[in-house]
Amino acid sequence: MLKLFKIEWLKIKTYKTFWLLYLSFMVFTPMFVIFVAYKFMNSKYSNFEEMTLKALAGAPFVFPKVWHSATYFSGLFFVVLSMLFILLITNEVQYRTHRQNIIDGWSRMDFIKAKFTLLIFFIISAVAVTFITALFIGYTYSPQGANVWDGIKYLGYFALMATVYLVVAFLVAILVKRTGLSIIIFFVLVVIVDNLLWLGFTLKESQLGYYMPLEAVDSLIPNPFKPKMMERRTVADYTLIITAFSYLAVYVYIIISYFRKTDLKT
Amino acid sequence: MAILSINNLTKNYGKIKALDNVSFSVPEKTVFGILGPNGSGKTTLLGIVMDILKATGGNYKWQGEESIDAMRKKIGTLLETPNFYAYLSGEDNLKIAARIKGRGEEDIEKVLTIVNLFERRKSKFNTYSLGMKQRLAIASTLLGNPDILVFDEPTNGLDPAGIAEIRELIKDLNLHGKTIIMASHILDEVEKVCTHVAIIQKGVLKTVGSVNEVLNTTGSNTKDGILVEISAADNHQLKNILDQMPGLIKISETDNGFEIVCPENTSAESINRFCFDKGIVLNKLNVKRKSLETRFLEITGKQSDR
Repeated sequence: MLKLFKIEWLKIKTYKTFWLLYLSFMVFTPMFVIFVAYKFMNSKYSNFEEMTLKALAGAPFVFPKVWHSATYFSGLFFVVLSMLFILLITNEVQYRTHRQNIIDGWSRMDFIKAKFTLLIFFIISAVAVTFITALFIGYTYSPQGANVWDGIKYLGYFALMATVYLVVAFLVAILVKRTGLSIIIFFVLVVIVDNLLWLGFTLKESQLGYYMPLEAVDSLIPNPFKPKMMERRTVADYTLIITAFSYLAVYVYIIISYFRKTDLKT
Repeated sequence: MAILSINNLTKNYGKIKALDNVSFSVPEKTVFGILGPNGSGKTTLLGIVMDILKATGGNYKWQGEESIDAMRKKIGTLLETPNFYAYLSGEDNLKIAARIKGRGEEDIEKVLTIVNLFERRKSKFNTYSLGMKQRLAIASTLLGNPDILVFDEPTNGLDPAGIAEIRELIKDLNLHGKTIIMASHILDEVEKVCTHVAIIQKGVLKTVGSVNEVLNTTGSNTKDGILVEISAADNHQLKNILDQMPGLIKISETDNGFEIVCPENTSAESINRFCFDKGIVLNKLNVKRKSLETRFLEITGKQSDR
């Protein structure tokens, strides 16, 4: 696998668009979270409503809740890496290098595996940067003796969410092939379809909405500023985790079985 | 043992049969030409044996083995168009190909020099001209000094000097014991370079064998005759006397004269004398060996497929 990653790395290490999108995620995510935390922690209570809201939010930038908040914001920005991942796959089709890689001696599975090494690289990057950001904010604002590692499970939820997003991106890119169209379809799925389905079910007082493909992982890390009493979800976290893994299995199966059998055309 | 053997290979795109039960095998150390008009299925055939297209039916074996992916690492292939990462330099692109083939990077300088691209190795692929792209693709096939090379229209986009260089390179590779499989729609190229040829049309294999065998197979039109191009100032009168010429097998009109097929033992001198005696002075008399082109047209018919 490392051998495959090294080849993938050769493909991207001098690719400007890769660095642009990768670094925007790696730099802007911590900057944004730190900025919000700074604003939040240093705001004056100017009126009663703000004070109430802040109290309801329940110390989002202090251990242990900072894990929740940091992963939530990273999750919002993670769509940038999903886009980059789509681009790196559809580029291969556009340049017909997916054919050339096979011609040069990769098996179809090697190609899929190589892209999965890239996926793992993105997830490790995102988890690492989120971890450091949360730790930094937590230590900056938490009182002495706070329980640092209590909310660390959110980092795991984040890794799972990131994996689901990238695998969906992978699936869309492999099936659609065109860069622009793939990105549009991915956004429509992420922003519109999934949320509409969730909304539809939730309005009917059904919990089914939480089982929607992306909502399952989104719900694991809800908006940290949303007061607990407004939470309608009764589905347990572990149920959502199992749901997410089931989706992952289906997506990966489709990616592999499709790519192994298809004619590689442009 | 055959380098490549193809058995009943069939490929359908919906109702269209891109390949219809094609079988042949490529002997070792030959330059094997796959000849056919545009859209005849040449690239489809090569795509299947390279596993980028999946056959509808039939199978193929490389050196007697059912397709294994590792086999392709030992074959240098240029399929259809050069496929490279546009934003990477020529050299970096070759590094990727070399790594995939499991080779070191020591060959890169050598292969770039062979195709005269060493000077431009640091330039990005998308700054290359069409001919340079093609030459980079040929360089890539030479990585790791493979014993089998597959070229699909190798001289595409090259200037006349480049075309001559590549043909020399192919012959030279063959002299060094390599087997070369080459698809082309250019008859002249196949005739000049190949030792064996398979002719396919609309996905159907029309004939296969060594170039000599294919050329010498009796054609329906020319029998065992020789082909002569002939014309005179007054072609109408020429036609009249040619009709009386003894032994004439066939006559057909061309743009400014005639192509006639005469018995094998006819000499140019005898034709000239015959015409002169009848009061016609020829302004063109060109004896052609039956070329692959004639043979090709006999086999495929004169109409273009597309």
